[in-house]
Amino acid sequence: MELFQLVTAQTISDAIQAQARSATAQNGADVRFIAGGTNLVDYMKLNVERPRQLVDINGLPLDKVEKTAEGGLRIGALARNADVAQDAIVKESYAVLSEALLSGASPQLRNMATTAGNLLQKTRCVYYRDTASACNKRQAGSGCSAIGGYNRMLAILGTSDHCIATNPSDQNVALTALEAVIHIEGRNGQRSVPISEFYLLPGSTPERETVLQPGDLITHITLPAPVAGAKSAYLKLRDRASYEFALASAAIVMKQDGERIRYVRVAMGGVGTRPWRAVEAEKMLLGKAATAENFRAAADAALHGARPQSQNGFKVELAKRCLTHAMRQVSQIA
Amino acid sequence: MAFDEKENKPKTSLGRLSRRSFLSQAGAMTAAAAVAPLASSPSPAQTAKADATPAFPGTVSVTLRVNGESHAIQIDPRATLLDTLRETIHLTGTKKGCDHGQCGACTVHVNGRRINSCLALAAMQQNAEITTIEGLGGPGKLHPMQDAFVEHDGFQCGYCTSGQIMSAVAMVKEPWGKTDGDVREAMSGNICRCGAYPNIVAAVQAVRRMS
Amino acid sequence: MDQISESKIIGVATRRVDGPLKVSGAAMYASDHHFPGLLFAWPVCATIAKGSISSLDTAEAEKMTGVVAVYHRTNIGPLYRVPPASGFSLILDEKRPPLEDDEIRYYGQYVAVVVANTVEQARAAAESVKVTYNREKPDADSKLRGSPLTTEKPEEKSKRGDTAAALRSAKVKVDSIYTIPAETHNPIELHASVAVYDGQKFTLYETSQAVVNHRDVLAQMLGVPPEQVQVITRFLGSGFGGKLWPWPQSALAAACARNLRRPVKLVVSRQMMFQSVGHRPAIEQRIQLAADLDGRLTAIEQEYVNHTSMLDDYDEGCGEITPFIYSTPNLLVTGGLARRNVGNPTAMRGPGAVPGLFALESAMDELAVSLKMDPVQLRLKNEPEIDESLKIPFSSRHMKECLTTGAERFGWANRTAEVGSMKRDGLTLGWGVAACAWLAARTETEASVELKQDGTARVACGTQDIGGGTYTVLAQIVSHETGIPVGKIDVVLGDSALPSGPISGGSWVTASVTPAVLEAARNAGQRLLLTAVKSENSPFKGRKPGELEFVGGMVRLKGQAQSAVPMAEVLRIAKINSVAGTGKSAGTLGAAKPEFSFHSYGAQFAEVTWQPEIARLRVNRVVTVIDAGRIMNPRPARNQIEGAVVMGIGMALFEETMYDRRSGAPVNNNLADYVMAVNADTPQIDVAFLDYPDYKLNALGVRGVGEIGLAGIAAAITSAVYHATGIRVRDLPVRIEDLLAMPRSDSAD
Repeated sequence: MELFQLVTAQTISDAIQAQARSATAQNGADVRFIAGGTNLVDYMKLNVERPRQLVDINGLPLDKVEKTAEGGLRIGALARNADVAQDAIVKESYAVLSEALLSGASPQLRNMATTAGNLLQKTRCVYYRDTASACNKRQAGSGCSAIGGYNRMLAILGTSDHCIATNPSDQNVALTALEAVIHIEGRNGQRSVPISEFYLLPGSTPERETVLQPGDLITHITLPAPVAGAKSAYLKLRDRASYEFALASAAIVMKQDGERIRYVRVAMGGVGTRPWRAVEAEKMLLGKAATAENFRAAADAALHGARPQSQNGFKVELAKRCLTHAMRQVSQIA
Repeated sequence: MAFDEKENKPKTSLGRLSRRSFLSQAGAMTAAAAVAPLASSPSPAQTAKADATPAFPGTVSVTLRVNGESHAIQIDPRATLLDTLRETIHLTGTKKGCDHGQCGACTVHVNGRRINSCLALAAMQQNAEITTIEGLGGPGKLHPMQDAFVEHDGFQCGYCTSGQIMSAVAMVKEPWGKTDGDVREAMSGNICRCGAYPNIVAAVQAVRRMS
Repeated sequence: MDQISESKIIGVATRRVDGPLKVSGAAMYASDHHFPGLLFAWPVCATIAKGSISSLDTAEAEKMTGVVAVYHRTNIGPLYRVPPASGFSLILDEKRPPLEDDEIRYYGQYVAVVVANTVEQARAAAESVKVTYNREKPDADSKLRGSPLTTEKPEEKSKRGDTAAALRSAKVKVDSIYTIPAETHNPIELHASVAVYDGQKFTLYETSQAVVNHRDVLAQMLGVPPEQVQVITRFLGSGFGGKLWPWPQSALAAACARNLRRPVKLVVSRQMMFQSVGHRPAIEQRIQLAADLDGRLTAIEQEYVNHTSMLDDYDEGCGEITPFIYSTPNLLVTGGLARRNVGNPTAMRGPGAVPGLFALESAMDELAVSLKMDPVQLRLKNEPEIDESLKIPFSSRHMKECLTTGAERFGWANRTAEVGSMKRDGLTLGWGVAACAWLAARTETEASVELKQDGTARVACGTQDIGGGTYTVLAQIVSHETGIPVGKIDVVLGDSALPSGPISGGSWVTASVTPAVLEAARNAGQRLLLTAVKSENSPFKGRKPGELEFVGGMVRLKGQAQSAVPMAEVLRIAKINSVAGTGKSAGTLGAAKPEFSFHSYGAQFAEVTWQPEIARLRVNRVVTVIDAGRIMNPRPARNQIEGAVVMGIGMALFEETMYDRRSGAPVNNNLADYVMAVNADTPQIDVAFLDYPDYKLNALGVRGVGEIGLAGIAAAITSAVYHATGIRVRDLPVRIEDLLAMPRSDSAD
């Protein structure tokens, strides 16, 4: 780990000004906000992250979880994963988020990790973690060691010839199905970005992962009002029973009117270079009967564009089974 | 830094070094804030030595509250809470297993919540109440969870045990269900390579039944 | 050999005497030691697996704040090689001392070491050392059979009869290839060395399962007499074999302390734990079985190849159990080593037996399927009368009872043989069984016992407690012999200055220490009786020692309870602080003509649940029955078997060190990517001990339980997987992709 300066932000605008001095808010940023530190300190120890300055934002008043005037939910950037998972409203009205959070990491890490930190969680690709390996995400233009290497855990959707790294978060999959909006305060004031537009595909610039610009501070996220009568669930599949990243996961929000599906949102984790919204599956299901056949057909559609690597071909079938099973969990099949 | 050959032996065969022996070394040092408020002119951590009387070049002063006592210490600005507890405050009951939040051996309580001290920067914990295994109870006066771990043989080598017990004490206060399966999930952030999991669950459940 | 059958303390569940230290953080592990003036060392690791160093630039590192020294080949000072080992002396796996030359033979090989005031400074400086390499293409191929071996052809390990002929004429045959990937021990305690040098003597706080050997090895490497090296391991955060023999960081730390005359702490990182402190090698085995239609084995042929490093030969010895576990007239075991650019492999829990039994017991299950025979019955049918390889009797073997008891406890009679035929709560069940065995032995041991005026006893032995409960076992033995309660017995272990004790390996400690400690306690008691008859004012003055006895912590006239005087009183009257006795016992290993075949036995029964709709497989229930002689302390013994089952679940389903074939790097070098079982993976585990004392091994009839629990478990699980899914996984670990019947690529390529 290289030396850095640690400063404490007393106000949001102080924090923004400090990070705005960085040339980028993406990989290679030389000023970083630090809150829980579970991801950043991990990568600083590996010299993957080498910020010259850390801005401790834990003192900022951004840790509340509260209802919005529109009947939705506002979750502060600094709300800890453990607290959000146990929040009464989240458990009651956004079960998929609570379940996703509780399936992630460990209780200790969930006590530390924050909502915004989790949004910005780095990939678990072993080559990204290893500065002796080529990695386009860590060092633009150096190459991708994962293609043709150890890629069992990596993505099959949204990949490019430059990067196949998976977004490892569970939270973000649930937030994608819930159509969360990310609220950002930056040099030019406040703006909000739907989660579907927040993450960038790797393309030829995998070092750029989000729309964040220097100085941007995520202040909170909002969830729309819960869809009346809808049920939601998160299903995570992995090798061991706990404390492991997903091989495939599914977040489903679904509402039926009798046997017909009247509302559905489908997102996947562990398979995409970003939290993966399966719009094709949603289109296929909307207005259709909730049957095992339709679920499987929707899952097939969700994985239609999958591009497996040498070791992760099984994820196509695994993700389909994951989706199908999660859909069955939230539906009433005749 | 003269090397004292007379001190060159362990204080006891099995026990840890006494805290007093440490404080006598550190007592003369001046405590100063290592963490600059953003308003003040930022100075790189390397130059913070000008503000303090560092034990080594490149260290900074911080004050940590651990097990109810304040420790004014000199640390490397990069030091994690784990390394600071072990190498500077000499509370070595907290263990390093992976250094990356992947095993749970370093679990301590910060403001009553269990965290991985390997991923916490010490300099960011200055206003926190930190509790380590030593703060729970000593060999002669065990906390009920510590006693339950002995009674149910909830360990073999003992290395992950501090973390297991700190996790267990915290989980009893967290919202978990009553079953063994709930305990297994709640304790899955603490890897025991000896595999004493059945006995760990038994120890935790015994304490939960008591309380 | 005498037999001790009655005891109030042997075989009684006893709280660990070191428990309160362990649960309060007060137990001192190697890296917990601190000394004034302590410096921190951090090694620089090669980032290639084959080639040589072309330049090593330390200029930037040396200028960094807090850096005290940067050592490499040209300035580390003398580190010598170690003469060939004999017995349990001078053993080490990686025989080349660190930094000896500029050639790189495996990824992560140390090329330099930085010493600084803080660990953060040392690490940052180590990362600033600029090394350039002449890079060559490494060989990290996981395919082993068919590649060149270290010997011209596979070595014959055991042979009887004519397997080729038997296989040719067999009615039923199995011919399968099984592979086990490299597995990393991953004890949670990182390997660590704290080296202190006072100008003459080295005091080394080490993570060692064998302090006496460690001392002898380090004395050789440092070029000093053994009495100038003391190795201390009061507590060990487990080892599973990975801490049996010294690894390069120990010599590096000692050399740094020597060069600087300052104490130096070197704790290897978890990443280095995958590189330079040993691992179970990758292994390929071909098993051929031949049987009659009634299930009687007519031939067993086993051919194994394991990888080893470029410089040193590590033989996994997968034929360890094969020659004696079943009756068969024809048997052939061969083994070979294939060199790879990997760090040196080493013994990992149940070396040889564990991988060997995975293959053999999997093949037995396949044979049972071919024969349409119950797999328990197949094993019962092939029970031998004697050890057919050595043609000597077994000391105490109850394999049949392990199988029948296990079958009963498991409910095996309810098994339906058809694949996928068993269901419960919407889940498909799979049931599997495997037999297991493990070598039992004693190794040479010395111990001393001291009886003290304060009423306590002290027992000392240069062995280690690595988690198995050795501290408590020694207290139990002394308590049994002297009548002094366990709580008043101070057990001192883990110091090479103590009487030479056994390595904590092979599950041999309990069997080995028993005779030596009993003898030491008896001799101390004799010295006490002598004191009682000789000292002024003693009520026994003038008696002959033979008229007295030492019972229940009291000295008395034989059989006369009313004459008893407490030990403490006898010593107080004599104004003597303590009386001591020593004991020494010989080993059984390496005997030219062994009288008995000493082994432990067991049977493993596993139930898996299978949910094809989400490809989820879990081990739900395990029954393990163990025949390991008398169980000294059932509490930690059960714990060890349960723990081995948990490790076995990891072996069967999760664990694999992935070498990137292009770089030779073990790429999943952390505890998130190298998957081990967590608490939530724990099945319901039922452990039963048969408890037949093996008095031919020692007076207490104890054998040891450290590794037997891991033997066979992987085969029981993969057999259960077959029973549930119809998929026979012969390449560990069983992965979700296997169960989805997807092709997989074995390692990164």
